[in-house]
Amino acid sequence: MTTDAAPGPDSTRLLRVQDLSVAIRTRGHDQVVVDRIGFELDRGHTLGIVGESGSGKSVLCLGLLGLLPRPQVRIVRGNAWYRGLDLLAQPEPVLRPLRGNRISFVFQDPLSSLNPYLTVGAQLEEPLRVHHGTSRAEARDRALEALAEVGIREPGRRSGDYPHEFSGGMRQRVMIAMALITRPDILIADEPTTALDVTVQAQILALLRELQQRHGMAMIFVSHDLRVVSAIADEVLVMQAGHCVEAGSTRALFATPQAGYTRQLLDAVPQGHKSPSSSSPEHPLDPLLRVRHLGVTFPGHGKWFGTPPTPIAAIADVSLDIRPGEILGVVGETGSGKSTLARAIVRLVATEAGSVQVGQQDWSNLDAVALRRARRRVQMVFQDPYSSLNPRMTVHDCLAEAMSLERMLPAPELQQRIAGLLADVGLEASAAGRYPHEFSGGQRQRIAIARALAPEPDLIIADEPVSALDVTIQAQILELLLTLNRRRGLALLFISHDLSVIGYIADRVAVLYQGRLVELAETNTLFAAPAHEYTRALLAAMPPAIQPAPARG
Amino acid sequence: MTFMAGKSLHANSLLRDTWLRLRCNTMAMATLTVLGIMVLLALLAPWIAPYAYADQNLALGATPPSWQHWAGTDPFGRDLLTRILYGSRISLAVGALATVVALIIGVLWGTVAGYVGGRVDAWMMRIVDILYALPFAIFIILLTVTFGRSLLLLFLAIGCVEWLTMARIVRGQVMSVRRLDYVAAAVLLGLPPWRIMAVHVIPNILGPVVVYATLTIPNVILLESFLSFLGLGVQPPGSSWGVLIAHGVETLEEYPWLLVWPALSLTVTLFCLNFLGDGLRDALDPRVATE
Repeated sequence: MTTDAAPGPDSTRLLRVQDLSVAIRTRGHDQVVVDRIGFELDRGHTLGIVGESGSGKSVLCLGLLGLLPRPQVRIVRGNAWYRGLDLLAQPEPVLRPLRGNRISFVFQDPLSSLNPYLTVGAQLEEPLRVHHGTSRAEARDRALEALAEVGIREPGRRSGDYPHEFSGGMRQRVMIAMALITRPDILIADEPTTALDVTVQAQILALLRELQQRHGMAMIFVSHDLRVVSAIADEVLVMQAGHCVEAGSTRALFATPQAGYTRQLLDAVPQGHKSPSSSSPEHPLDPLLRVRHLGVTFPGHGKWFGTPPTPIAAIADVSLDIRPGEILGVVGETGSGKSTLARAIVRLVATEAGSVQVGQQDWSNLDAVALRRARRRVQMVFQDPYSSLNPRMTVHDCLAEAMSLERMLPAPELQQRIAGLLADVGLEASAAGRYPHEFSGGQRQRIAIARALAPEPDLIIADEPVSALDVTIQAQILELLLTLNRRRGLALLFISHDLSVIGYIADRVAVLYQGRLVELAETNTLFAAPAHEYTRALLAAMPPAIQPAPARG
Repeated sequence: MTFMAGKSLHANSLLRDTWLRLRCNTMAMATLTVLGIMVLLALLAPWIAPYAYADQNLALGATPPSWQHWAGTDPFGRDLLTRILYGSRISLAVGALATVVALIIGVLWGTVAGYVGGRVDAWMMRIVDILYALPFAIFIILLTVTFGRSLLLLFLAIGCVEWLTMARIVRGQVMSVRRLDYVAAAVLLGLPPWRIMAVHVIPNILGPVVVYATLTIPNVILLESFLSFLGLGVQPPGSSWGVLIAHGVETLEEYPWLLVWPALSLTVTLFCLNFLGDGLRDALDPRVATE
């Protein structure tokens, strides 16, 4: 596993990587993005590579098979042997028959990895016909077999469909079928479940494990998610900024992490549930937000002279309350209407039915001007920190605008208040003069939170605010939101697809399924005794909790 | 500082930073200088031109460039350099004015249509479609017949035709910017729609708009010569680059310099405008690192 094995080709190992370094050339300087990584992989084993974005984990995998965009990115040192064959010394014609044949890939985004203009069947047959020269009829049989193996019903009919006709999970199954159809020795899966819903993720992981046992192949599983890796890998390699900070068997590494960074990663995984806070439901406070029977319908696509469009109900009959100072979590999968609910509450989308009341004010029938004035009480934080800040506005301008709409502030006081806001979200006052693109994703999310705080709202709606962030950053942002909640008595409507994040931060949890609220309960109650069938399915699909590291002396 | 002062702060930092970034762009600054000199020459034409633009010297006739006539003379014996200088007054003015008119109408129309959307958008864009379908020449002739012939009116009329494409480009850009989260955030801050459009939408669509505007200027300059050819624009003995080029083409074989010098002036101007447009586009975007 580690790098101290004797150097030199070793044909008994399936894959052996030694001292591999990859550099990116920018403006004449070489920047090392993968620094002397080594590992070994045997048949039937799974190596998990864990790291945050930019840690070099994907570059490492692409580098093994000469898929790096040369000459900007190139391997500067090291060796990789596949069954004793020195991969890095081989010219392209030798590597090509290996790629997608002996060593296969599954990528994160199955939609962009499949050709939208070819049927799934045709794409499945391609590797067989290219690499093995299989006849058309036999390739077709094998393709159907492979589709059936990955759990796609009616493979005969489905193989004639195009990628867009499959759901995300089904597409990833197709990708796996395609990767496995040539019976590879090694499957490299790069974040294969990151884009998927949690229940689908659980199915895909189970499928990968089952297929691995059946075919005895080796697997390299790359992920930023420690829990997923701990569930599937035999051995784990933790990467940070191109370095291997720790490697070892999964059990040992998670039980007694040695490196500080590994511990940091493990601590960052939200675990456990929040115990009811002081503003718990016994307090007879009037609700801050009262949503009643809210419904949103989107016009469907009709034909010009044909049938009238059938409207699609995005959310229907949703009722919930948020008390002052409370954190209400909303959980649901893709398409469950979480974001629509958020946008309907603040009236960014038109509502079809129901009412929204903030404090004593009914928002449903406010006119445009009154609504503009009322709106400042409820602010939002969005998922994508890259599109939620105006790229042409400095942080100062952005916050000044958010703050000084009705107030007349002298310049020094404005500066001071902006510095204060920035300090509240953990940024230096010097950040004010800079533009959004000069900040990292986590810092941008802090700026977005500062902007949401600027009008001093009573409620912030956070729509997947940590989903686009690395796990350590995610933990910092969650901590920040909790601090703001405690210190300012700020109420939060926290939307996420991730039950563990919700369990960590929320006082109460609402479960959305296909646009309907199927369960609303206190966090502890919901985790301990889920009432609805769908909630139980969600809980069962959660990756197992990592054993917390024992106290270190 | 009052709220109004706070508002000017936004405009200030956008304009100031744009100017600072533009200043770092050597090529853009060089072309800006060249354009400045051309404008200066056009303004000073009556004082620096070696001859009067309408002075004929039939005995002289067409002569190639010489020490007396740096750019040569035309078949009427008129000094070409003088005529180019006077012509630049018309051409630069029509280019700038008509483009500004097109820019203002097009950006406002397109932004409102794209931002408001729905039925308003549908109606506004149908109007654009209808105007597109009107033959350009007939439209201009109608205008001149109705309002009488004047150069200023001509500039406005050209601008009124050129804004159509601008409006379409702007609308498309606005529709994609409108969906971004920072616009939603601005709505939630209770900002009035005009302010969201002015501060959050328009600055983020200026890149393509500026580039298209620099492409509109040469179009407009050539359009003017077409209208002059129809007798709707500059009348003899007045001149513009478009008119000079049109005449130069007719006599290309006998007197090539009559085409070369006006065409060269136009080319240099367009060249500068293109570089300036690229420079402006980059300077407007804080994400583009300046060298």
